[in-house]
Amino acid sequence: MKRRLFRSLQAKYMLIIFMALFLMQISYLLIAIVLSIGIDLYGKGSTGAADMPSAGEIEAKWHADAARLTGGSAQEVRRMFEKWKAEYPGAGMFWVDGEGRLAEQMDVAEELPSVWTAAYTAQFIKSRYGGDPFTVIAFAGGRAAGGFVVIEMPREQFDPPLIKIYNRYGFWLIVGLIAIVLLFILISYLFFRGIRRRLVQLQEAMTIRDVDGLPVQIDVTKDDEIGQLQHSFNRMVVELKESKRREQEEEQLRRELIANLSHDLRTPLTKIRAQAYTLGIHPLTEEGRKAIEAMEQSIVNMDHLIDNLMAYTLLMANKYRQEAKQVDIIRFVKEHLATWYPLFEKEGFEVEVELGAVGHPVWTIDPLWMGRVLDNIYQNVLRHAKQGRYIHVSTEAAKEYDAIVIEDRGTGARPDDQKEPRPGASPSRPDRTGDDGGMSPAGSRSDSKGAGIGLSIVDRMLKGMGLDWDIRMTPGGTTIKVKRMNGRTSE
Amino acid sequence: MAHILYVEDELEIGGWVTRDLTGRGYQVTWLTSGEGAEQYASRADIAVLDVMLPGLDGFSVGKRLKKEAPDLPVLMLSARSSVEDKIEGLGFADDYLTKPFHPDELAARIEVLLRRAQRFEDVLELRHLNVYVKAGRIVDTRNQQEIVLTGKQYHLFQYFLKNLNRILTKEQIYEAVWGEPYIEGDKTLMVHIRHLREKLEIDPAKPEIIETIRGIGYRVRR
Repeated sequence: MKRRLFRSLQAKYMLIIFMALFLMQISYLLIAIVLSIGIDLYGKGSTGAADMPSAGEIEAKWHADAARLTGGSAQEVRRMFEKWKAEYPGAGMFWVDGEGRLAEQMDVAEELPSVWTAAYTAQFIKSRYGGDPFTVIAFAGGRAAGGFVVIEMPREQFDPPLIKIYNRYGFWLIVGLIAIVLLFILISYLFFRGIRRRLVQLQEAMTIRDVDGLPVQIDVTKDDEIGQLQHSFNRMVVELKESKRREQEEEQLRRELIANLSHDLRTPLTKIRAQAYTLGIHPLTEEGRKAIEAMEQSIVNMDHLIDNLMAYTLLMANKYRQEAKQVDIIRFVKEHLATWYPLFEKEGFEVEVELGAVGHPVWTIDPLWMGRVLDNIYQNVLRHAKQGRYIHVSTEAAKEYDAIVIEDRGTGARPDDQKEPRPGASPSRPDRTGDDGGMSPAGSRSDSKGAGIGLSIVDRMLKGMGLDWDIRMTPGGTTIKVKRMNGRTSE
Repeated sequence: MAHILYVEDELEIGGWVTRDLTGRGYQVTWLTSGEGAEQYASRADIAVLDVMLPGLDGFSVGKRLKKEAPDLPVLMLSARSSVEDKIEGLGFADDYLTKPFHPDELAARIEVLLRRAQRFEDVLELRHLNVYVKAGRIVDTRNQQEIVLTGKQYHLFQYFLKNLNRILTKEQIYEAVWGEPYIEGDKTLMVHIRHLREKLEIDPAKPEIIETIRGIGYRVRR
């Protein structure tokens, strides 16, 4: 619990905030300490200036010392100046005697006239009044005849130590504060950049797919909130893989079941055919021969029905594998028809082929699916259009679609023949004259059962490949169009 | 006489097929399981295998046979009709026929496979022609004259013979013989067929050897 708390991003963020607050407080404290130390140091380093008397006290003292001058000799004045200089090193002093001559001076910053007229003296007094430097004028010996002594001191010497320190270190204090704020911003930025980088890496890792199309597990490097998210993602991947494995197992079981069922049904059917064939090679009555032929036909029908039932079961469960490819449809139909041609020929069909150019000759289809679709259609033609003995396979290039058209001369529809699922029967299709797609000629009701499932497979497979189709049945024959609508964007 | 190795565990079906093929002039060795089938690999001209067998299944037997004798044609004869089974079977086998089959179809497929593997009879009779396939000779039986074909005509005719009784589209023929994609409207194939007919047919205007299947292609039928 404790370890997790320290690995938590929230805890880290709170730590940064507290650190920032702490740093601010610490910095104020440090400034205060620095100031107090500075004041002490300043006080010591400024030779008693920390105990600087007020301007009024200095003025009074200067007047008192000036009044004590007796003879007005230069030596006496000098001694007084030296005493004051020792006490106030920043001070400048001078003495103008009773005749108005500049008799003595010490550390005066400006150039002074050697003879002081009344006008200059008045101007000097006026300029120094309330100004900087702080100036005190006192009569030497307390009489105007002794002349006057002047002391001047820069007013800053009377400033409090805090202001002096601020004037000296203020810039660095501001720089320090800004540095602390910038440091906080930098740490925050690095913290969030780290989070962002890991989130981006996580997002990228989530998009990587394994060979089975599922996401791959992520390496978890830290145990914080993002680490927890990665753990959750990994758990989800494991569950997905498990689910996929179960699904594949189920699919495999279903396929095995269908394959075994197919095997178990076809094996006895082969035995029946063997018996029928053996019987057929012996001399038989006309009736016997017909019975053998009917048995043969039933075997063929059963075979196709089993095939269709298996395919339909897989299609209904969406387990019939589809692998779409770009296929030259004219070539495909031609080659496929070539495999059926001998059967039509054997049954005495007239086969007409007119496979001309279409707008889009390349269709995206699964050749196995398309082959099965055509197998079902041709099978139905063979079974239900025997009387017409005619099949016409052509292409149609219309504005809205390209189509493969298969026509026969069966004797027409029997809407009540079918009890099987209807292939896409929609009342909105004006060209669908029959309601079942059974293509069943009159007089072949029993034969046509099973054609419905065949055409349901046709319907499902064509729709599964994004194709359309329609069927038109008339007493003169049946026309099936397998259409590729020109609005398709897949090619 | 071609030797057929036949593996089928269903006694009724096995007996029937063996009788039928023997009646058609083949020598048949019938085994009821795949065990020991490999020892016939070198002696047999073709193997016909059921898929669901006790012990080793037909796919495994077929693969072992192919390993022993890669040129041996293998025909899978199975009641398993799913696409997956067919794809698995055709991964190594040369043909796949589903039950319930007609014995004529089985015999026809065996004949095609034997011919493709050049394990068929020396002389192939086609109407008035005797074709000595292994020797590459064609003799007109009316006058015993040998018909000489050009290289391309010979390849073309060979391709028809390998696909005897099969309807071949123009695209299939052109791509197999010329080794290039067929371009719609190209007359090269038609010209070669015409020249071939002039040499082979009694009346090239009414061809009997190389049939035209309108709208689809051509066929040489026995």
